[in-house]
Amino acid sequence: MGLKSMFDSLLGRGSLPEAKTDRLFAISTAVVTMEVDLRLKPSSSAGICFKPMEMAKYEEARDEIEGLLKYSTQETGTLFRLEKDEYNFLWVILEDPDFEDLVTNIHMVSQTLIEQNFGEQLLCAVYRFEGKGPVYWIYNFKQDGYYPFASLNGHKRDNAVEMRLKSLMERELPIEKNIEKWYPLWGMPF
Amino acid sequence: MVKWKRDLGLEGRMLLTMFLLAAVYLFFLAFLTYMSAPPVFMILFIGLALGAQYYYSDRIVLWTMNAHVVSEDEEPNLHQTITRLCAIADLPKPRIAIVNTAVPNAFATGKGPNSAVVAVTTGLVDRLNQGELEAVLAHELSHVKNRDMAILTIASFISTLAFYFVRYNLLFGSFGGGNRRDSGGILLVWAVSLAVWLISFLLIRALSRYREFAADRGSAIITGQPSNLTSALLKISDIMPRIPNDDLRKVEGMNAFFIIPAAVSGSFLNLFSTHPSVEKRIAALEKIQRELEL
Repeated sequence: MGLKSMFDSLLGRGSLPEAKTDRLFAISTAVVTMEVDLRLKPSSSAGICFKPMEMAKYEEARDEIEGLLKYSTQETGTLFRLEKDEYNFLWVILEDPDFEDLVTNIHMVSQTLIEQNFGEQLLCAVYRFEGKGPVYWIYNFKQDGYYPFASLNGHKRDNAVEMRLKSLMERELPIEKNIEKWYPLWGMPF
Repeated sequence: MVKWKRDLGLEGRMLLTMFLLAAVYLFFLAFLTYMSAPPVFMILFIGLALGAQYYYSDRIVLWTMNAHVVSEDEEPNLHQTITRLCAIADLPKPRIAIVNTAVPNAFATGKGPNSAVVAVTTGLVDRLNQGELEAVLAHELSHVKNRDMAILTIASFISTLAFYFVRYNLLFGSFGGGNRRDSGGILLVWAVSLAVWLISFLLIRALSRYREFAADRGSAIITGQPSNLTSALLKISDIMPRIPNDDLRKVEGMNAFFIIPAAVSGSFLNLFSTHPSVEKRIAALEKIQRELEL
Protein backbone atom coordinates (compact mmCIF):
# COMPACT_ATOMS: atom_id res chain seq x y z
CA MET A 1 0.00 0.00 0.00
CA GLY A 2 1.63 3.24 -1.08
CA LEU A 3 1.07 6.83 -0.10
CA LYS A 4 -1.20 7.43 -3.04
CA SER A 5 -3.49 4.53 -2.24
CA MET A 6 -3.65 5.61 1.38
CA PHE A 7 -4.83 9.03 0.33
CA ASP A 8 -7.26 7.47 -2.06
CA SER A 9 -8.83 5.52 0.77
CA LEU A 10 -8.85 8.53 3.09
CA LEU A 11 -10.56 10.73 0.56
CA GLY A 12 -12.90 7.98 -0.49
CA ARG A 13 -11.57 7.84 -4.03
CA GLY A 14 -12.72 4.45 -5.13
CA SER A 15 -10.43 3.15 -7.78
CA LEU A 16 -9.31 -0.29 -8.77
CA PRO A 17 -5.56 -0.82 -8.67
CA GLU A 18 -3.75 -0.57 -11.99
CA ALA A 19 -2.65 -3.79 -13.59
CA LYS A 20 1.05 -4.56 -13.63
CA THR A 21 2.66 -6.51 -16.41
CA ASP A 22 6.30 -6.32 -15.40
CA ARG A 23 6.33 -9.76 -13.89
CA LEU A 24 4.69 -11.46 -16.83
CA PHE A 25 8.04 -12.42 -18.30
CA ALA A 26 9.33 -14.10 -15.15
CA ILE A 27 7.70 -17.34 -16.12
CA SER A 28 9.58 -17.67 -19.37
CA THR A 29 12.81 -18.43 -17.49
CA ALA A 30 11.14 -20.31 -14.67
CA VAL A 31 9.72 -22.80 -17.15
CA VAL A 32 13.15 -24.39 -17.56
CA THR A 33 13.34 -25.30 -13.87
CA MET A 34 9.80 -26.57 -13.98
CA GLU A 35 10.49 -28.87 -16.89
CA VAL A 36 13.75 -30.19 -15.55
CA ASP A 37 13.15 -30.40 -11.79
CA LEU A 38 9.42 -30.84 -11.55
CA ARG A 39 8.65 -32.59 -14.85
CA LEU A 40 5.97 -29.99 -15.51
CA LYS A 41 5.58 -29.38 -19.22
CA PRO A 42 3.97 -26.25 -20.63
CA SER A 43 0.85 -27.31 -22.43
CA SER A 44 1.24 -24.66 -25.15
CA SER A 45 -1.95 -22.95 -23.99
CA ALA A 46 -2.32 -19.78 -22.01
CA GLY A 47 -5.10 -17.32 -21.45
CA ILE A 48 -5.93 -13.86 -20.25
CA CYS A 49 -9.10 -13.31 -18.36
CA PHE A 50 -10.80 -9.98 -18.19
CA LYS A 51 -14.07 -8.58 -17.13
CA PRO A 52 -15.84 -6.86 -19.97
CA MET A 53 -17.59 -3.59 -19.38
CA GLU A 54 -20.73 -2.31 -21.10
CA MET A 55 -21.54 -3.71 -24.47
CA ALA A 56 -20.23 -0.90 -26.65
CA LYS A 57 -16.80 -0.80 -25.05
CA TYR A 58 -16.70 -4.55 -25.05
CA GLU A 59 -17.34 -4.87 -28.76
CA GLU A 60 -14.77 -2.19 -29.47
CA ALA A 61 -12.17 -3.88 -27.32
CA ARG A 62 -12.91 -7.26 -28.78
CA ASP A 63 -12.49 -6.01 -32.32
CA GLU A 64 -9.34 -4.19 -31.43
CA ILE A 65 -7.84 -7.21 -29.75
CA GLU A 66 -8.77 -9.50 -32.56
CA GLY A 67 -7.16 -7.15 -35.04
CA LEU A 68 -4.04 -6.91 -33.01
CA LEU A 69 -3.84 -10.63 -32.46
CA LYS A 70 -4.26 -11.37 -36.16
CA TYR A 71 -1.36 -9.11 -36.91
CA SER A 72 1.11 -10.13 -34.23
CA THR A 73 0.44 -13.84 -34.26
CA GLN A 74 1.15 -14.02 -37.96
CA GLU A 75 4.85 -13.83 -37.22
CA THR A 76 4.98 -16.38 -34.48
CA GLY A 77 2.20 -18.55 -35.77
CA THR A 78 0.33 -18.40 -32.51
CA LEU A 79 -3.27 -19.50 -32.63
CA PHE A 80 -5.80 -17.43 -30.79
CA ARG A 81 -9.46 -17.39 -29.97
CA LEU A 82 -11.80 -15.34 -27.85
CA GLU A 83 -14.30 -16.93 -25.57
CA LYS A 84 -16.79 -15.92 -22.95
CA ASP A 85 -17.14 -18.06 -19.86
CA GLU A 86 -20.05 -18.80 -17.56
CA TYR A 87 -19.25 -15.76 -15.42
CA ASN A 88 -19.38 -13.57 -18.53
CA PHE A 89 -15.71 -12.92 -18.35
CA LEU A 90 -13.85 -12.72 -21.62
CA TRP A 91 -10.91 -14.97 -22.32
CA VAL A 92 -8.19 -14.46 -24.85
CA ILE A 93 -6.77 -17.92 -25.36
CA LEU A 94 -3.45 -18.38 -27.09
CA GLU A 95 -1.81 -21.54 -28.32
CA ASP A 96 1.80 -21.87 -29.32
CA PRO A 97 4.23 -24.73 -28.84
CA ASP A 98 7.01 -22.18 -28.39
CA PHE A 99 6.67 -21.06 -24.80
CA GLU A 100 8.59 -17.84 -25.26
CA ASP A 101 6.31 -16.75 -28.09
CA LEU A 102 3.35 -17.57 -25.91
CA VAL A 103 4.64 -15.41 -23.07
CA THR A 104 5.47 -12.58 -25.45
CA ASN A 105 1.98 -12.62 -26.87
CA ILE A 106 0.37 -12.73 -23.48
CA HIS A 107 2.39 -9.74 -22.45
CA MET A 108 1.54 -7.89 -25.63
CA VAL A 109 -2.17 -8.49 -25.30
CA SER A 110 -2.10 -7.35 -21.69
CA GLN A 111 -0.21 -4.21 -22.60
CA THR A 112 -2.68 -3.42 -25.34
CA LEU A 113 -5.61 -3.83 -23.02
CA ILE A 114 -3.96 -1.48 -20.57
CA GLU A 115 -3.24 1.06 -23.27
CA GLN A 116 -6.85 0.90 -24.33
CA ASN A 117 -7.82 1.75 -20.75
CA PHE A 118 -8.95 -1.74 -19.93
CA GLY A 119 -6.24 -2.19 -17.32
CA GLU A 120 -8.79 -2.17 -14.56
CA GLN A 121 -10.70 -5.00 -16.19
CA LEU A 122 -7.70 -7.27 -16.42
CA LEU A 123 -8.10 -10.09 -13.95
CA CYS A 124 -5.37 -12.60 -14.55
CA ALA A 125 -3.15 -14.40 -17.01
CA VAL A 126 -3.08 -18.17 -16.77
CA TYR A 127 -0.49 -20.61 -18.09
CA ARG A 128 -1.46 -24.23 -18.26
CA PHE A 129 1.07 -26.94 -17.54
CA GLU A 130 0.77 -30.69 -17.56
CA GLY A 131 2.11 -32.71 -14.68
CA LYS A 132 0.24 -35.70 -13.31
CA GLY A 133 -2.81 -33.54 -13.91
CA PRO A 134 -3.34 -29.99 -15.10
CA VAL A 135 -1.36 -27.39 -13.18
CA TYR A 136 -2.16 -23.75 -13.81
CA TRP A 137 0.11 -20.89 -12.92
CA ILE A 138 -2.15 -17.94 -12.36
CA TYR A 139 -0.75 -14.45 -12.54
CA ASN A 140 -2.93 -11.92 -10.78
CA PHE A 141 -2.44 -8.53 -12.39
CA LYS A 142 -3.66 -6.63 -9.39
CA GLN A 143 -1.33 -8.35 -6.99
CA ASP A 144 1.67 -8.80 -9.24
CA GLY A 145 2.38 -12.34 -8.17
CA TYR A 146 1.93 -15.89 -9.40
CA TYR A 147 0.32 -18.79 -7.62
CA PRO A 148 -0.20 -22.42 -8.59
CA PHE A 149 -3.53 -24.13 -9.02
CA ALA A 150 -3.44 -27.91 -9.37
CA SER A 151 -6.95 -28.97 -10.18
CA LEU A 152 -8.36 -32.38 -9.40
CA ASN A 153 -11.59 -33.97 -10.49
CA GLY A 154 -14.67 -32.85 -8.72
CA HIS A 155 -13.99 -29.22 -7.95
CA LYS A 156 -10.98 -30.00 -5.79
CA ARG A 157 -7.43 -28.82 -5.71
CA ASP A 158 -4.27 -30.65 -4.76
CA ASN A 159 -2.98 -28.45 -1.94
CA ALA A 160 0.05 -30.61 -1.24
CA VAL A 161 1.27 -30.27 -4.84
CA GLU A 162 0.61 -26.53 -4.77
CA MET A 163 2.58 -26.02 -1.56
CA ARG A 164 5.40 -28.08 -2.96
CA LEU A 165 5.42 -25.95 -6.12
CA LYS A 166 5.46 -22.81 -4.03
CA SER A 167 8.53 -23.79 -2.03
CA LEU A 168 10.40 -25.08 -5.05
CA MET A 169 9.68 -22.11 -7.31
CA GLU A 170 9.90 -19.36 -4.72
CA ARG A 171 13.27 -18.21 -5.87
CA GLU A 172 12.44 -18.29 -9.57
CA LEU A 173 9.02 -16.71 -9.69
CA PRO A 174 7.49 -13.85 -7.74
CA ILE A 175 4.89 -15.88 -5.90
CA GLU A 176 1.90 -14.45 -4.09
CA LYS A 177 2.91 -14.71 -0.44
CA ASN A 178 -0.55 -14.59 1.00
CA ILE A 179 -2.05 -17.99 0.30
CA GLU A 180 -5.48 -16.74 1.23
CA LYS A 181 -5.42 -14.99 -2.11
CA TRP A 182 -4.76 -18.12 -4.14
CA TYR A 183 -8.23 -18.11 -5.66
CA PRO A 184 -8.69 -20.82 -8.27
CA LEU A 185 -10.61 -20.54 -11.51
CA TRP A 186 -12.86 -23.47 -12.10
CA GLY A 187 -13.66 -24.68 -15.57
CA MET A 188 -11.27 -22.53 -17.56
CA PRO A 189 -11.87 -22.77 -21.30
CA PHE A 190 -8.48 -24.32 -22.05
CA MET B 1 23.48 -47.35 3.24
CA VAL B 2 22.75 -43.71 2.78
CA LYS B 3 25.37 -41.43 4.18
CA TRP B 4 23.54 -38.52 5.72
CA LYS B 5 25.20 -35.17 5.90
CA ARG B 6 25.16 -33.64 9.33
CA ASP B 7 23.56 -30.27 9.57
CA LEU B 8 26.52 -28.44 11.05
CA GLY B 9 24.72 -25.13 11.06
CA LEU B 10 21.94 -26.55 13.20
CA GLU B 11 24.31 -28.36 15.52
CA GLY B 12 26.37 -25.21 15.86
CA ARG B 13 23.35 -23.16 16.84
CA MET B 14 22.28 -25.77 19.38
CA LEU B 15 25.71 -25.84 20.97
CA LEU B 16 25.83 -22.09 21.09
CA THR B 17 22.43 -21.90 22.75
CA MET B 18 23.33 -24.50 25.36
CA PHE B 19 26.63 -22.73 25.96
CA LEU B 20 24.87 -19.40 26.45
CA LEU B 21 22.41 -21.03 28.83
CA ALA B 22 25.23 -22.52 30.87
CA ALA B 23 26.97 -19.16 30.93
CA VAL B 24 23.86 -17.39 32.10
CA TYR B 25 23.34 -19.95 34.84
CA LEU B 26 26.91 -19.86 36.05
CA PHE B 27 26.73 -16.10 36.21
CA PHE B 28 23.53 -16.36 38.21
CA LEU B 29 24.98 -18.80 40.70
CA ALA B 30 28.13 -16.72 41.04
CA PHE B 31 26.04 -13.65 41.58
CA LEU B 32 23.94 -15.32 44.26
CA THR B 33 27.05 -16.50 46.03
CA TYR B 34 28.50 -13.01 45.88
CA MET B 35 25.33 -11.65 47.42
CA SER B 36 25.67 -14.30 50.13
CA ALA B 37 22.30 -15.51 49.10
CA PRO B 38 22.81 -19.11 48.12
CA PRO B 39 19.40 -20.36 49.05
CA VAL B 40 20.33 -23.92 49.75
CA PHE B 41 16.87 -24.95 50.69
CA MET B 42 15.35 -23.31 47.64
CA ILE B 43 17.77 -25.09 45.33
CA LEU B 44 17.21 -28.40 47.05
CA PHE B 45 13.47 -28.01 46.97
CA ILE B 46 13.31 -27.07 43.32
CA GLY B 47 15.84 -29.75 42.46
CA LEU B 48 13.66 -32.34 44.15
CA ALA B 49 10.51 -31.04 42.51
CA LEU B 50 11.99 -31.09 39.05
CA GLY B 51 13.60 -34.42 39.74
CA ALA B 52 10.27 -35.90 40.67
CA GLN B 53 8.63 -34.25 37.69
CA TYR B 54 11.27 -35.80 35.45
CA TYR B 55 11.10 -39.18 37.10
CA TYR B 56 7.37 -39.42 36.80
CA SER B 57 7.23 -37.45 33.55
CA ASP B 58 5.58 -40.14 31.53
CA ARG B 59 2.77 -40.66 34.01
CA ILE B 60 2.27 -36.94 34.50
CA VAL B 61 2.16 -36.14 30.80
CA LEU B 62 -0.15 -39.02 29.99
CA TRP B 63 -2.52 -37.95 32.70
CA THR B 64 -2.47 -34.29 31.67
CA MET B 65 -3.05 -35.10 28.02
CA ASN B 66 -5.68 -37.69 28.86
CA ALA B 67 -3.81 -40.38 26.96
CA HIS B 68 -4.14 -44.06 27.66
CA VAL B 69 -1.68 -46.76 26.78
CA VAL B 70 -2.86 -49.24 24.16
CA SER B 71 -1.86 -52.82 23.53
CA GLU B 72 -0.97 -54.48 20.26
CA ASP B 73 -4.37 -56.08 20.07
CA GLU B 74 -6.07 -52.74 20.38
CA GLU B 75 -3.94 -50.96 17.78
CA PRO B 76 -2.10 -53.52 15.68
CA ASN B 77 -1.13 -51.19 12.86
CA LEU B 78 0.25 -48.56 15.19
CA HIS B 79 2.27 -51.14 17.10
CA GLN B 80 3.67 -52.79 14.01
CA THR B 81 4.56 -49.47 12.45
CA ILE B 82 6.44 -48.35 15.53
CA THR B 83 8.18 -51.71 15.86
CA ARG B 84 9.44 -51.35 12.32
CA LEU B 85 10.59 -47.79 12.87
CA CYS B 86 12.38 -48.71 16.09
CA ALA B 87 14.24 -51.46 14.32
CA ILE B 88 15.53 -48.93 11.80
CA ALA B 89 16.28 -46.33 14.46
CA ASP B 90 17.88 -48.87 16.77
CA LEU B 91 15.62 -48.01 19.68
CA PRO B 92 13.80 -50.17 22.17
CA LYS B 93 10.09 -50.19 21.54
CA PRO B 94 8.30 -47.56 23.62
CA ARG B 95 4.85 -47.82 25.10
CA ILE B 96 2.16 -46.49 22.79
CA ALA B 97 -0.69 -44.27 23.89
CA ILE B 98 -3.75 -42.78 22.26
CA VAL B 99 -5.60 -39.56 22.98
CA ASN B 100 -9.18 -39.48 21.90
CA THR B 101 -9.57 -36.11 20.23
CA ALA B 102 -10.15 -34.76 16.75
CA VAL B 103 -7.22 -32.37 17.08
CA PRO B 104 -4.28 -33.92 15.24
CA ASN B 105 -1.27 -34.18 17.51
CA ALA B 106 1.55 -36.44 18.58
CA PHE B 107 4.07 -36.32 21.40
CA ALA B 108 6.73 -38.35 23.12
CA THR B 109 7.63 -38.39 26.77
CA GLY B 110 9.61 -40.37 29.27
CA LYS B 111 12.99 -40.32 30.96
CA GLY B 112 14.82 -41.91 28.11
CA PRO B 113 14.67 -44.54 25.40
CA ASN B 114 14.10 -47.33 27.90
CA SER B 115 11.01 -45.86 29.47
CA ALA B 116 9.51 -43.80 26.71
CA VAL B 117 5.95 -43.33 25.60
CA VAL B 118 4.87 -42.18 22.15
CA ALA B 119 1.33 -40.89 21.87
CA VAL B 120 -0.89 -39.93 18.96
CA THR B 121 -4.39 -38.53 18.81
CA THR B 122 -7.21 -40.23 16.96
CA GLY B 123 -7.49 -37.03 14.93
CA LEU B 124 -3.95 -37.53 13.67
CA VAL B 125 -4.45 -41.16 12.70
CA ASP B 126 -7.66 -40.30 10.86
CA ARG B 127 -6.16 -37.48 8.88
CA LEU B 128 -2.85 -38.88 7.73
CA ASN B 129 -2.03 -41.69 5.36
CA GLN B 130 0.38 -44.46 6.33
CA GLY B 131 3.49 -42.72 5.01
CA GLU B 132 2.69 -39.46 6.75
CA LEU B 133 1.90 -41.26 10.01
CA GLU B 134 5.26 -43.01 9.89
CA ALA B 135 6.98 -39.69 9.35
CA VAL B 136 5.32 -38.18 12.41
CA LEU B 137 6.06 -41.26 14.55
CA ALA B 138 9.66 -41.20 13.40
CA HIS B 139 9.83 -37.54 14.44
CA GLU B 140 8.65 -38.45 17.94
CA LEU B 141 11.04 -41.38 18.13
CA SER B 142 13.85 -38.97 17.28
CA HIS B 143 12.88 -36.90 20.31
CA VAL B 144 13.20 -40.03 22.41
CA LYS B 145 16.50 -40.97 20.89
CA ASN B 146 17.87 -37.47 21.40
CA ARG B 147 16.69 -37.48 25.01
CA ASP B 148 15.02 -34.14 24.50
CA MET B 149 12.85 -34.46 27.57
CA ALA B 150 15.86 -34.80 29.84
CA ILE B 151 17.77 -32.02 28.16
CA LEU B 152 14.97 -29.53 28.32
CA THR B 153 14.21 -30.40 31.94
CA ILE B 154 17.82 -29.82 32.93
CA ALA B 155 17.89 -26.65 30.87
CA SER B 156 14.87 -25.34 32.66
CA PHE B 157 16.18 -26.10 36.14
CA ILE B 158 17.93 -22.89 36.86
CA SER B 159 15.41 -20.96 34.85
CA THR B 160 12.79 -22.25 37.28
CA LEU B 161 15.04 -21.35 40.18
CA ALA B 162 15.35 -17.81 38.90
CA PHE B 163 11.63 -17.63 38.41
CA TYR B 164 10.96 -18.60 42.00
CA PHE B 165 13.46 -16.03 43.11
CA VAL B 166 11.48 -13.41 41.28
CA ARG B 167 8.24 -14.52 42.82
CA TYR B 168 9.21 -15.34 46.36
CA ASN B 169 12.30 -13.25 46.85
CA LEU B 170 10.62 -10.62 48.95
CA LEU B 171 8.90 -13.22 51.09
CA PHE B 172 11.85 -15.47 51.71
CA GLY B 173 14.49 -12.77 51.89
CA SER B 174 16.61 -15.14 53.93
CA PHE B 175 19.80 -13.71 52.71
CA GLY B 176 22.10 -14.09 55.59
CA GLY B 177 25.39 -12.37 55.36
CA GLY B 178 26.00 -9.07 57.04
CA ASN B 179 25.49 -5.91 55.16
CA ARG B 180 24.07 -7.54 52.09
CA ARG B 181 20.92 -7.95 54.06
CA ASP B 182 19.19 -4.78 53.08
CA SER B 183 16.42 -3.76 50.72
CA GLY B 184 18.92 -2.72 48.08
CA GLY B 185 20.41 -6.18 48.04
CA ILE B 186 17.07 -7.88 47.88
CA LEU B 187 15.95 -5.65 45.06
CA LEU B 188 19.13 -6.34 43.15
CA VAL B 189 18.71 -10.08 43.52
CA TRP B 190 15.16 -9.74 42.32
CA ALA B 191 16.13 -7.72 39.28
CA VAL B 192 18.92 -10.07 38.32
CA SER B 193 16.65 -13.06 38.81
CA LEU B 194 14.17 -11.48 36.47
CA ALA B 195 16.81 -10.87 33.85
CA VAL B 196 18.16 -14.40 34.21
CA TRP B 197 14.69 -15.81 33.91
CA LEU B 198 13.85 -13.81 30.80
CA ILE B 199 17.08 -14.57 29.01
CA SER B 200 17.02 -18.25 29.85
CA PHE B 201 13.37 -18.38 28.84
CA LEU B 202 14.19 -17.14 25.37
CA LEU B 203 17.24 -19.38 25.13
CA ILE B 204 15.24 -22.42 26.13
CA ARG B 205 12.64 -21.58 23.53
CA ALA B 206 15.38 -21.34 20.93
CA LEU B 207 16.86 -24.64 22.08
CA SER B 208 13.46 -26.22 21.87
CA ARG B 209 13.03 -25.02 18.30
CA TYR B 210 16.43 -26.34 17.27
CA ARG B 211 15.60 -29.71 18.73
CA GLU B 212 12.42 -29.71 16.67
CA PHE B 213 14.52 -29.25 13.54
CA ALA B 214 16.75 -32.05 14.75
CA ALA B 215 13.75 -34.32 15.25
CA ASP B 216 12.52 -33.47 11.74
CA ARG B 217 15.93 -34.42 10.44
CA GLY B 218 15.84 -37.61 12.47
CA SER B 219 12.49 -38.45 10.98
CA ALA B 220 13.86 -37.96 7.47
CA ILE B 221 16.80 -40.23 8.28
CA ILE B 222 14.63 -42.97 9.75
CA THR B 223 12.00 -43.01 7.03
CA GLY B 224 14.15 -41.90 4.11
CA GLN B 225 11.12 -39.93 2.92
CA PRO B 226 11.26 -36.30 4.05
CA SER B 227 8.38 -35.43 1.74
CA ASN B 228 6.06 -37.54 3.90
CA LEU B 229 6.76 -35.34 6.89
CA THR B 230 6.26 -32.23 4.78
CA SER B 231 2.92 -33.55 3.66
CA ALA B 232 1.94 -34.41 7.23
CA LEU B 233 2.97 -30.97 8.51
CA LEU B 234 0.91 -29.27 5.84
CA LYS B 235 -2.11 -31.34 6.64
CA ILE B 236 -2.07 -30.74 10.35
CA SER B 237 -0.92 -27.15 10.33
CA ASP B 238 -3.45 -24.52 9.59
CA ILE B 239 -1.82 -23.61 6.32
CA MET B 240 -3.57 -25.81 3.84
CA PRO B 241 -7.09 -25.06 4.99
CA ARG B 242 -6.40 -21.41 4.25
CA ILE B 243 -6.05 -22.04 0.54
CA PRO B 244 -9.39 -20.82 -0.81
CA ASN B 245 -11.80 -22.66 -3.06
CA ASP B 246 -13.87 -19.70 -4.22
CA ASP B 247 -13.54 -18.80 -7.85
CA LEU B 248 -11.46 -15.69 -8.50
CA ARG B 249 -14.11 -14.35 -10.83
CA LYS B 250 -16.64 -14.46 -8.03
CA VAL B 251 -14.57 -12.60 -5.50
CA GLU B 252 -12.89 -10.05 -7.70
CA GLY B 253 -15.88 -7.79 -7.30
CA MET B 254 -14.79 -7.12 -3.76
CA ASN B 255 -12.46 -4.25 -4.53
CA ALA B 256 -11.52 -3.84 -0.94
CA PHE B 257 -10.16 -7.35 -0.99
CA PHE B 258 -7.34 -6.52 -3.34
CA ILE B 259 -6.11 -3.60 -1.31
CA ILE B 260 -5.86 -5.40 1.99
CA PRO B 261 -2.17 -5.74 2.76
CA ALA B 262 -0.89 -9.23 3.34
CA ALA B 263 -0.84 -10.42 6.93
CA VAL B 264 2.34 -9.59 8.75
CA SER B 265 4.31 -12.71 9.58
CA GLY B 266 4.88 -12.45 13.30
CA SER B 267 8.63 -12.70 13.22
CA PHE B 268 8.92 -11.09 16.62
CA LEU B 269 6.47 -13.55 18.07
CA ASN B 270 8.60 -16.41 16.78
CA LEU B 271 11.06 -15.71 19.58
CA PHE B 272 8.52 -17.06 22.02
CA SER B 273 7.44 -20.21 20.28
CA THR B 274 8.71 -23.66 21.10
CA HIS B 275 8.29 -24.87 17.54
CA PRO B 276 9.75 -23.32 14.41
CA SER B 277 7.20 -22.14 11.89
CA VAL B 278 5.83 -24.77 9.54
CA GLU B 279 7.30 -22.93 6.55
CA LYS B 280 10.78 -23.09 8.04
CA ARG B 281 10.42 -26.74 8.86
CA ILE B 282 9.24 -27.53 5.36
CA ALA B 283 12.10 -25.53 3.86
CA ALA B 284 14.57 -27.54 5.95
CA LEU B 285 12.91 -30.79 4.86
CA GLU B 286 13.02 -29.72 1.21
CA LYS B 287 16.74 -29.17 1.64
CA ILE B 288 17.16 -32.70 2.98
CA GLN B 289 15.08 -33.97 0.09
CA ARG B 290 17.41 -32.30 -2.38
CA GLU B 291 20.45 -33.76 -0.61
CA LEU B 292 18.83 -37.13 -0.95
CA GLU B 293 18.18 -36.71 -4.65
CA LEU B 294 21.67 -35.64 -5.61
